[in-house]
Amino acid sequence: MALPAALRERFITWALRVRPPEPSPIVLSQRRVYVLPTRAGLGYAAALLVMLIGSINYNLGLGHVLTFLLGGLGVVAILHTFRNLVRLKVSHGRTPPVFAGEMAVFHLLLGSDVERRALRLWLPEGGDARVDVPADEPADVRLALPAERRGWLALPRIGLETTWPLGLIRAWAYCAPDARCLVYPRPAAKAPPLPWAQSRDTGKHGGGGRGRDDFAGFRNHQPADPPRHVAWKHTARRSEEAPLLTKQFEGATTASRVWLDWQATPEGDVEARLSILTRWALEAHASGFEWGLRLPETHLAPGSGQAHLDTALRMLALHGRDAH
Amino acid sequence: MAATRTETPALAAAQTGWLLAIGFVALAPLAPHLPGWLAGATLAALVWRGWLAWRQRPLPSRWRLTLLVLAGSAGVGYQFGSLFGQNPGVALLVLFLALKQLETRTVRDGLAIVLLAYFLALAQFFYSQTIPAALATAAVAITATATLLSLTDARPAPAAQLRRAAVILGQALPFMLLLFVLFPRVQGPLWGLPKDAGSGLTGLSDSMAPGAISHLSRSDAIAFRVRFDDAMPERAQLYWRGPVLSEFDGRTWRPRRELPRATLPYAEPASGGIGYEVTLEAHGKPWLFALELPGATPELAFATLDFQLLAKAPVLARQRYLARSYPLLRAGADESPALRQQALALPAGSNPRIRRLAASWRADARSDGDVLRQAQAFFLRQGLIYTLNPPLLGEHSADEFLFDTRQGFCEHFASAFAVAMRAAGVPARVVTGYQGGEVNPVDGWLTVRQYDAHAWTEVWLAGRGWVRVDPTAISAPTRIDLDLAAAVPAGDPLPLLMRAEFSWLRDLRFRWDAVTNTWNQWVLGYTPERQRQLLQRLGMPAPDWRAMTALLAALCGIALLLLTAWILRRQRRADPLARQWEKLSRRLARRGLGRQAAEGPFDYAERVARALPAVAAEMRGLAALYARLRYAPPAADRAKTLDQLRRRVACFRP
Amino acid sequence: MHAPASDGPLDAVVAAAGGIILGKERQIRLALACLLARGHLLIEDVPGVGKTTLAHVLAKLLGLAFQRIQFTSDMLPADILGVSIFDRARGAFDFHPGPIFAQVVLADEVNRATPKTQSALLEAMEERQVTAEGRTRPLPAPFFVIATQNPAHQIGTFPLPESQLDRFLMRIALGYPDRAAERELLAGADRRELLAGMSPGLTAEQLIGHQESVRRVHVADALIDYVQALAGHTRVSADWQAGLSPRAALALLAGARAWGWLAGRDHVLPEDVQAVLPGVVGHRLRPADDLPAANAVQRLIEAVPIP
Repeated sequence: MALPAALRERFITWALRVRPPEPSPIVLSQRRVYVLPTRAGLGYAAALLVMLIGSINYNLGLGHVLTFLLGGLGVVAILHTFRNLVRLKVSHGRTPPVFAGEMAVFHLLLGSDVERRALRLWLPEGGDARVDVPADEPADVRLALPAERRGWLALPRIGLETTWPLGLIRAWAYCAPDARCLVYPRPAAKAPPLPWAQSRDTGKHGGGGRGRDDFAGFRNHQPADPPRHVAWKHTARRSEEAPLLTKQFEGATTASRVWLDWQATPEGDVEARLSILTRWALEAHASGFEWGLRLPETHLAPGSGQAHLDTALRMLALHGRDAH
Repeated sequence: MAATRTETPALAAAQTGWLLAIGFVALAPLAPHLPGWLAGATLAALVWRGWLAWRQRPLPSRWRLTLLVLAGSAGVGYQFGSLFGQNPGVALLVLFLALKQLETRTVRDGLAIVLLAYFLALAQFFYSQTIPAALATAAVAITATATLLSLTDARPAPAAQLRRAAVILGQALPFMLLLFVLFPRVQGPLWGLPKDAGSGLTGLSDSMAPGAISHLSRSDAIAFRVRFDDAMPERAQLYWRGPVLSEFDGRTWRPRRELPRATLPYAEPASGGIGYEVTLEAHGKPWLFALELPGATPELAFATLDFQLLAKAPVLARQRYLARSYPLLRAGADESPALRQQALALPAGSNPRIRRLAASWRADARSDGDVLRQAQAFFLRQGLIYTLNPPLLGEHSADEFLFDTRQGFCEHFASAFAVAMRAAGVPARVVTGYQGGEVNPVDGWLTVRQYDAHAWTEVWLAGRGWVRVDPTAISAPTRIDLDLAAAVPAGDPLPLLMRAEFSWLRDLRFRWDAVTNTWNQWVLGYTPERQRQLLQRLGMPAPDWRAMTALLAALCGIALLLLTAWILRRQRRADPLARQWEKLSRRLARRGLGRQAAEGPFDYAERVARALPAVAAEMRGLAALYARLRYAPPAADRAKTLDQLRRRVACFRP
Repeated sequence: MHAPASDGPLDAVVAAAGGIILGKERQIRLALACLLARGHLLIEDVPGVGKTTLAHVLAKLLGLAFQRIQFTSDMLPADILGVSIFDRARGAFDFHPGPIFAQVVLADEVNRATPKTQSALLEAMEERQVTAEGRTRPLPAPFFVIATQNPAHQIGTFPLPESQLDRFLMRIALGYPDRAAERELLAGADRRELLAGMSPGLTAEQLIGHQESVRRVHVADALIDYVQALAGHTRVSADWQAGLSPRAALALLAGARAWGWLAGRDHVLPEDVQAVLPGVVGHRLRPADDLPAANAVQRLIEAVPIP
């Protein structure tokens, strides 16, 4: 408890035995699970010593029996506590991306072929979680960690401990699953409006030419429809009473497509510009139109949908960083 | 350690419930031994705590608790006259347990209560170490373990916690046994016992006034048990010698003051002895009882010049000793004149009628033997009645008994006879002890109970030494030949167990007694001495503490390994079908072919078949059976098929 | 997978198809299972590995009417579903059924068509009927679509959106034939001639009866637990970006039933589930960034214990 921090760190590195991060699943082998009495356990041992002395002094045969029974209980508690942690399988689960400033939630899957109860997981930064692991059914634990910077946020070393069943013994282990969370840039609180005007599609970029004239079907003619969209041929084949039909075309109009361009953001700090782009991406996604993204070295062809947004945000998050 | 959590979470409702339960369970066996007010107050505190928890009221403030602690301690101090010692100590522990309940807020407080409960369970043994007491302690241990479980994980239901507690304690039993047998025992006490230790024990006192022994004879508590090496001597010879009383003040007999402590004043004969082992219950006095006359002093004992055995300290715990006695031995022929003179002293003016009569015997007699015979004839003539309910006697107790009331218990007989002899000039003294006993047909041990307490007389005859004369036997020979029930007139209040109509109860008692005796011999009486004997019998030539510790460590290590293997094994499944499949997999695992978790039955069978072509066909057949039972639509002959699988798995030898 | 498959009811069909499509018995079985489970099949592979032949062979052997639709970027939904044409003589619209009105439809290179056309096909697949001009026309029974798709990264394609992929019970890849099979292919007779010489082993009615039998294949509780555990694992595992939907779990069961039935059993084994799992979940799940899908499925199988 009073170990200097550096010494403590060295101890933990030693205790880990494997340099982090490790591939999943991590199995907590016998050698990396440590067992020591808790404060309560020390109290229990002291009480037993007093009871033993009392039994000897007063020649209490049953006192010996009770003391030895409780002593045996302490030994059994060590075993149970050890069993409760050892051979636990730790693998990391899905870690949904978050925006900088939010809490990154790491899902850890604890698997075991025997039931384990009252495990506690903690992060050096203070997040902790309690969990029971049923037999043959992985338990999902969430550990939250503040995500401050965009990019990959690696799950730091986690500690696992248990004092079950009696609270007299503490078994603990460290492990560092190879889990990471993608942190998107923090959306700018204030940003210029979406750059509709600057983003006239000139067709210069990528596969942006996707079918302005992809035929999609017919609908009844309305006076405002442009004459060249009326299905004259079709109408001619039908009776005079038949209503005029208008051809409908797939694809967005130029006005509903937007390019989110690095160049369009105010000059200055890279992070600030990414923040603005992030906010734009969210707004463009919410608008439902097609949108594309241009960054200094790369671009994303216009598109829409959640997967498109995910790709764009990932590009923003990893801008200037190693993708792995 | 790194990141050790020292937080102590607040208690959940279930945890408070468990702490109250352990309070009740720990206090119940102690309640009869506590002052009434303390038991009541403790109960009230627990009920109060329960009420507060139930109504979710705040706990009493700290200063109020302090006040209660002070008041309670003062009460204890007033009751016992001290705060130190065994009884006040127990009372204070009880007080603390009750009041600690009123300030349990965190898990750490809860742990303090559990530890207090353990101490109280131990304290219970000051008063009783019987089998029922052990059962009460088992209840405390299970409840305390369940409480500890609950303090760690409050969610499971009470029944589940109790079950788990019982299982864990069951796993602790092998260690308990090993420690019990092999832990090097130290003979206590390690330091002085408190002055009040052993109070409340029953047994023969160091003085005898009229009524003292008849009072004792209402108790059927066990005085001691005897195991004879060979055949038991005749019942009429079973005189268990206790305190020898030589000083008489007219009413009360007392032992000689400043008794010199020495070895027995006579030599042990070469033959004719009866060997036996006595297991003496604690009685708070130093007397050890032995058949007349003991041949040598047991270990850790003295002898007095009047042939009595004394322990070096009061017998505060059950004690076991080996002895050897010689019923035909007469000793004291060379008794010193000073002692003989002392054995003639009578207070002046007491019992004038017997003195006159004695003077007439002496006048007619040629020797002390003649006087003795006259006195015996006189006792027979008087038609004295042996009864448990003798009338009260006045100043001249011997006179009144012999001439007026003529009803008495053995102490009246012995006292009057000794007075008569002294008055006639024959040295005489009273010997108290036990006479007879009861053979338990279950284990063959002789049990001597408090109602077997007896008093008789010894007279000194020149050339013969001290001779036992039992005046009770003159008037009520059946007392000696049979037992108390046969000797007293019908209608006398006998101890329950002596009455004929309760013979079935006696039978039951015999059995219970045998169990208790075994318990006493092996659990309570497992002393350093017995430990050494046992280990020698088990083949350890010289069991010293080093050898014992080494053996203990080795055996505990083995037990630990076995238990580890058992605990770490894959949990058995409840499903009998899955169990068979697991069994098969375990058997194959020995050949490195355990089933992988994600392997279907036929995939597994193929893998095994490839590796072990010899069993390929059988393995495929087993997989098909298992798959049919597990995955096919339920069929009518399911039970039969399962049975077939079970048999075939049992015969499967990869 | 070693589940016993000695006397499957359609072994003759499988063997006959295997005589033409060499070394692909597993894919033939999967395709059959898909058909028997009343699902549709998506084959994703490079051109020329025998996708079309497989569809032909199945249709022929099962005695089913076959239509092939080659998808192009200028295709309209009407080109698939059919159009109503005004019959001046009768003064009414006549519906001219499109090529989808067949029992086995090969939708070739489905990712060349526009999303609009794709969704017309997929809706028809799902509903087993075509609604045009306000009238609903049922598609023939049995109805089985084999769509082929080039690998997504090829230029000029519209990959099927994830929501549409769900409508295919399975996605399989044929893959290149192994050395021996390819040699036989090169040295042997023309596949088309062989095909022409084949005779149907079943009638449509028998096939419908078989589909009914597949539906009655027993699924034990332990197996349902297993399927649930598999689905549950995909929902939490880091290997996937999103988990299996309940519909996907149903598809998995349906595929496993057909697989088990093909092996001549009246119940499903965990091995059946594992056999169809890659085909059923491969197109429904997106693996996490740097994990190949096949590895991810294998890890899924290994991670979930069989109850």
